[in-house]
Amino acid sequence: MAPLADVFPSAEFRDDLAGRGGATAARCYQCATCSSVCQLAPDDGPFPRRQMLKAQWGLGDQLVNDPAVWLCHQCNDCTVRCPRDAKPGDVMQTVRSLVVEKLATPAFMGRLVAKAGSTWPLLLGAPFLFWVLVLYAVTGLQVPAEMKEYKDVVPHWLIYAVFFPVAGLVTLAIFPSGLRFWNLLGSSGRRSGSFVPNLVPVLIEISTHKRFGSCDAAASRRWGHFALLWGFVGAAVTSGLLLLAIYVLKSEMPLPLLHPFKVLGNLSAVLLVVGGAILLYNRLVGGDRTGSSTAFDNFFLFVVILVIATGVLTEVGRFQFQPALNTWIYILHLTVVLCLFATFPYSKFAHMVYRMLAMVHERMTRPV
Amino acid sequence: MNVSSPQPLLVVGAGIAGITAALEAAEAGKEAVLVEREQAVGGRVLRSHQYFPKLCPPSCGMEINVRRLEKNPRIRVLTGAQVAKADRSANGWSVAIAVSPRFVNERCTVCGDCSKVCPAKVPDPFNLGMNEVPAIRLPHPDAWPRRFVLDRSACPSGCKACVDACTYDAIDLNAAGREETIEASAVVLATGWSPYPIEKLPELGGGRFQDVVANVNFERLASPSGPTGGKILRPSDGTPPKKIAFVQCAGSRDVNHLPYCSAVCCLASLKQATYVKEQIPDAEVTMYYIDRRAPGRNEDVLTKVAATEGVKLVKGKVGKIEECAGGLKLRLEDVEAGRILDAFADLVVLATGMVSSLKGEKPPFGVGMDDDGFGLDNPGASLFIAGVARRPEDVAASVRDATGAAAKALVAARRSA
Amino acid sequence: MEKIGLFLCTGCEIGAAIKTDGLESLAKKGGAKSVVMHPFLCSEEGVAAIRKAVDDGSVDSVLIAACSPRAKTAEFRFDPLKVSVERIGLREQVAWSHPHGEEDTQMLAEDLLRMGLVRIKKNILPKPLAETIEKTVLVVGGGVAGLSAAKAAAGMGHPVVLVESSARLGGSMAGVKDAAPEQPPYGELHKNTIGELISAVQGNASVRVLLQARTVHIAGQPGQFTVDVESPSGKETFLAGAIVQATGASPYDATKLGDLGYGLTPDVVTSVDLDRMIAKGEIRRPSDGKPPRRILFVQCAGSRDPAHLPYCSSECCVTTLRQVAAVHRDLPGMECAVVYRDMRTPGQMEHFYQAVQEQPGSMFTRGEVAKVEKGPEGNLVVRLKDSLLGPDAALQADLVVLAVGMIPNSADSEAIRALRDARVGAEKGDSDVQRAHAAKVAEELAFHEGTEILNLEYRQGPDLPVLRYKFSDSHYICFPYETRRTGIYAAGTVRAPMDAAQAAEDGWGAGLKTVQCISAATRGEAVHPRAGDISVADFSLQRCTQCKRCTEECPFGAINEDVKYTPQYNPMRCRRCGICMGCCPERIINFPEYSVDAVGSMVKAIEVPDELDEKPRVVAFLCENDALPALDEAAARRLSWNPWVRVIPVRCLGAVNVIWIADAMARGIDGVLLIGCRKGDDYQCHYMTGSELANKRMENIQETLTRLKLDSTRVRILEIGRNEFDRIPQIFAEFEKVIEETGPNPMKGF
Repeated sequence: MAPLADVFPSAEFRDDLAGRGGATAARCYQCATCSSVCQLAPDDGPFPRRQMLKAQWGLGDQLVNDPAVWLCHQCNDCTVRCPRDAKPGDVMQTVRSLVVEKLATPAFMGRLVAKAGSTWPLLLGAPFLFWVLVLYAVTGLQVPAEMKEYKDVVPHWLIYAVFFPVAGLVTLAIFPSGLRFWNLLGSSGRRSGSFVPNLVPVLIEISTHKRFGSCDAAASRRWGHFALLWGFVGAAVTSGLLLLAIYVLKSEMPLPLLHPFKVLGNLSAVLLVVGGAILLYNRLVGGDRTGSSTAFDNFFLFVVILVIATGVLTEVGRFQFQPALNTWIYILHLTVVLCLFATFPYSKFAHMVYRMLAMVHERMTRPV
Repeated sequence: MNVSSPQPLLVVGAGIAGITAALEAAEAGKEAVLVEREQAVGGRVLRSHQYFPKLCPPSCGMEINVRRLEKNPRIRVLTGAQVAKADRSANGWSVAIAVSPRFVNERCTVCGDCSKVCPAKVPDPFNLGMNEVPAIRLPHPDAWPRRFVLDRSACPSGCKACVDACTYDAIDLNAAGREETIEASAVVLATGWSPYPIEKLPELGGGRFQDVVANVNFERLASPSGPTGGKILRPSDGTPPKKIAFVQCAGSRDVNHLPYCSAVCCLASLKQATYVKEQIPDAEVTMYYIDRRAPGRNEDVLTKVAATEGVKLVKGKVGKIEECAGGLKLRLEDVEAGRILDAFADLVVLATGMVSSLKGEKPPFGVGMDDDGFGLDNPGASLFIAGVARRPEDVAASVRDATGAAAKALVAARRSA
Repeated sequence: MEKIGLFLCTGCEIGAAIKTDGLESLAKKGGAKSVVMHPFLCSEEGVAAIRKAVDDGSVDSVLIAACSPRAKTAEFRFDPLKVSVERIGLREQVAWSHPHGEEDTQMLAEDLLRMGLVRIKKNILPKPLAETIEKTVLVVGGGVAGLSAAKAAAGMGHPVVLVESSARLGGSMAGVKDAAPEQPPYGELHKNTIGELISAVQGNASVRVLLQARTVHIAGQPGQFTVDVESPSGKETFLAGAIVQATGASPYDATKLGDLGYGLTPDVVTSVDLDRMIAKGEIRRPSDGKPPRRILFVQCAGSRDPAHLPYCSSECCVTTLRQVAAVHRDLPGMECAVVYRDMRTPGQMEHFYQAVQEQPGSMFTRGEVAKVEKGPEGNLVVRLKDSLLGPDAALQADLVVLAVGMIPNSADSEAIRALRDARVGAEKGDSDVQRAHAAKVAEELAFHEGTEILNLEYRQGPDLPVLRYKFSDSHYICFPYETRRTGIYAAGTVRAPMDAAQAAEDGWGAGLKTVQCISAATRGEAVHPRAGDISVADFSLQRCTQCKRCTEECPFGAINEDVKYTPQYNPMRCRRCGICMGCCPERIINFPEYSVDAVGSMVKAIEVPDELDEKPRVVAFLCENDALPALDEAAARRLSWNPWVRVIPVRCLGAVNVIWIADAMARGIDGVLLIGCRKGDDYQCHYMTGSELANKRMENIQETLTRLKLDSTRVRILEIGRNEFDRIPQIFAEFEKVIEETGPNPMKGF
């Protein structure tokens, strides 16, 4: 049967959006100030005015496949200027959180992380319990008398034995979500060209954060986000290099302070601290100007901050704290890192994948 | 009429609403006192070139009103006067009125000899500071009472050139102000409005670029008594513009500025588009709007202007205005086309809204206000609000509700008498 | 007048511009009893000199040759019952606008003086009216506006009779549950207070309410209307001093809105229907009685549409918001989609718009309805075009509400009058052709039959004249209450599209206007725009030829006819514009201080130099409200113009009698200008039709000129705006050129 009508407002979608903090879309009167002040919106496909209308009407089916939702970097120039205080930046973010949940594999994980506002004790408690139990089983959870190396608390092999499979599982989980997303995007425009050649410029773009730079309202966020991204990249690379140092080069642990690997690791930590601080500051001080926060946002930032904080404390604490305290700090660090890893496909972290895909899609649908 | 209260109705503000309220009451047999802060009556309307929807000069109706004011023995007009203090009295209000010094008195014949010799120049308040005038002058062509005024603060020390030039002994540089108390049976507040300052809209170029002007200033540019003698010229270089953009809701319908709709700006811009097309037939006019608000028969203006060749109406609020080679660049989304436009204009008119004059001030008579500073009637205190002090509205509506307010005030006065 | 005192001011450059001694002797020759020259006539001393002459009886009329009649009015005002005053604007028309000391300037001043002298000589003192005035106010229509008007008039101490055609008060607001917010914070529905208003009016001892009643006949004039009302309790007759017509508006006939799906299924309803459902507390689909899940509101149903109502009905956007809010309150969770062209929520209604948008289930889009179709589940599918949802979006709905516009409940007085005339013509016409034509006209106008509302016994028709779109005629920007029937004020939606709150205000205002009219009648004064004028027209009926021009042309319908077509003047309907004086070919209509003879004499007092002098003469009749102020302003700016023009201010161009033009031509004057206000739909004439009539009369003038073997270019009628002072010199210069091309008036010297 032919479609009865091509607009299907969904009260459920509207309620869902409202429940996540996107209720302000209802105020929008379609003046399009938001689109005109958005530095990221392409001239022939401006956002977020259109997305605001779809959100107000509950046209979820038209939003999940809309790449514009992901091209938005939530710099909130729109929110600052919105004459109705409809907070388009927040609404876009809310829509993103909704897409992440809808596409989550397995679905229950999506729901769990989406409701981080209430499920956070579980999301953090489970990895903590995991580490406590595993360590109890492996080492008997002994606190070393003198803290020389963290392998005295958690053996290196155990770290890799945990994180490699988790990383694998997470990749397995995000892959079908990403694929579904990619296919959904396909229904919103004809693509030409192939994926990889278009991915390269996107990666370059992401690595330089050029787009982010054009935001006005939250200019500082660009650098926060930039530092955080490269901090994480640095940390990941450092982890790989450590594997090399431990098992191939057989270097003595801990590495001396001026060891290149150590320098890279510390540099990454500095970037993470700086990035995290900037973003936290924006969140706390920026207030309305840069958009309000949702549980989805907060949980992710909270975990990232915890990762950074516990990481720094772990490193510093080796020289400063009692071994017992150090031990628990380290366990906490591993807990939040595990949480961050495990929730990657379901948290705001997933935007790395979705935004990248949307950007590639956008390149491929651009008129030549 | 059976108004037994011998006390007059006090009307504060002699713009179109206040004049109407006072006149309608006085012609119904009631004594009325009309108090105006400026030195001449007429308020904002006389600063308009034409009224919509008829595109007729405001001075036409004002001519009749002035004749009515002159002829009516029951009306007293105090200009240069403000409410200093107001207290409830047994039958209404006891109001102290401070009348500022009148340096040029009623002997003035408006001959103009004083202006010719006056060495001091001041920005012309009537033309919103767009030109300079002598410190002593007729405040505007339709000024009533028809007398010169002196901006005493601009006088060079010791100068009495005007006094010497005046053959009629009409100037007293040492004139003193005075205060009088009026026992009023009821009060109508018609204190009017001021334009929303464009300096608060820097993203739209307000206060940053010369060729971004407010609609009220544009009105002066089109008026034969304005700074350009009625020629529409770009402030930056004095040339006639070829591409004019009207930016609607510049500050109105905006929680960051004025959350309400100022009710007149759409029609003001449509009207101003007709000025442009009349003077510069090949000019391209574009009006950028959110909603085209032309209620009632004003729709005819919208229909007519929209059908004019060279006039475009584009749905989309302008988000940003920057200078570019030879003019200004406006950034917006053309909502109907779903595209971002970088539109060019060599003159931009910001359709700024109206701010109630009561807003932010210590309200006289303890009048209640809504969050936006618009006054609320208080029948129990025989206090009524008329015109834009009450809500954003056009002249026709101001006249209507001023007449209504006068009626309510007379009924209240009669009740409390 | 007999004892003319000329008071000549020599200040403000007058003394420098002209030889005043020459004027003095001229005045004496021209009949002035005394001449006083003063360097500063408007000063206390100068005015005292005039007052002294008046008080000691040495003069009975004061001719002030000084500044414009518009200047120093307070200083130069004397008791009109005791002394006649005329003014010559030497300052503006001579000293400020022409080179000092030149021959032409002197000649101009001398002509103006001659003209002033003959004019004041013709003046007589007015005899004010002293009539018995009825204080009762008649209010026709018991809706918001009518009730408010009744409340206002009664509150000011006047007895009121309120006549309502239906069986209940409240009009279109009766039976509506809620009201749009009128008080801050403007976000929530208010209770509709029409019930309180009805009770207040019904409980007011001064107000008598007649339900199911109609005004079957209204005769007379302000202060003395005789009103016949028929109601179930019979016919009664009473007197009324003034009248408010607040007959409201009707919703646009939705059966004409088939394009929007009306009639397709019972589930396409109007906003009026929905109000009924809301009031009953049963928002249901008419087709199956089930609560709808989604309502779609279609704005501008019939409004802003040349095929239906070209105007915006003003209140429908806010009405829809009110209804959406009520639906959300009564049926939480219901979806309300609003399709608008432009949301029109002026002023603080913007807050209400936002508040309603924020209620869960509210959805708004700009767009137009292309088609409404039946849906498969017994619901409706609405196809939209150019909506923000996409170029051709379609949407399902259970109930479609058409926000219908309003049509004023007015009667087209002029059309009814034409119908009546045509019927008479069809029977009593002079020839078969005329009768057939009249019959055809009668057929075309037949639909006006029985639409009368007030049933005025006025020569020009039984109701208030209407403007485009059938809203009652008025100067709706500056003087919205001033209709073309003195003492009868339109209020509420019969006057202009408006919402209930505005209609209430309008009713209050109209209430005051009735009180004002009665008050002025009591004092024997005219109302707007010549408020306070105490002189009335005099008809010398013995010379009347029953040509019916005055009865046809009076913009205010002040003149009735008896069976022999003799005019019957109703002074209290009269606004003193003089249009009757202008149209009368027999020149039998005159005012004490403004007569055909007086102005004609002014024309004839102009000295016309010989052709060989090459000094042509032009008479310019200027409307005193717009053209004269523009001229004064030009003078104030020291603009200069052709010195051969002689300006005569008139109350209205419609008051210019053709005889004056004939007089001018016969005198050898080379050209005549008539400068007045804009005519047409957007007329500016304060007497509404004066400019229009003056233009029509130009045809007669052309005939006159042809008869006199004169070129028709010698007479020209022009429009000027009150603010167009810069055009004054230009107009005179251009006309001078025309006159030059036409050559001198051949009648010169005869």
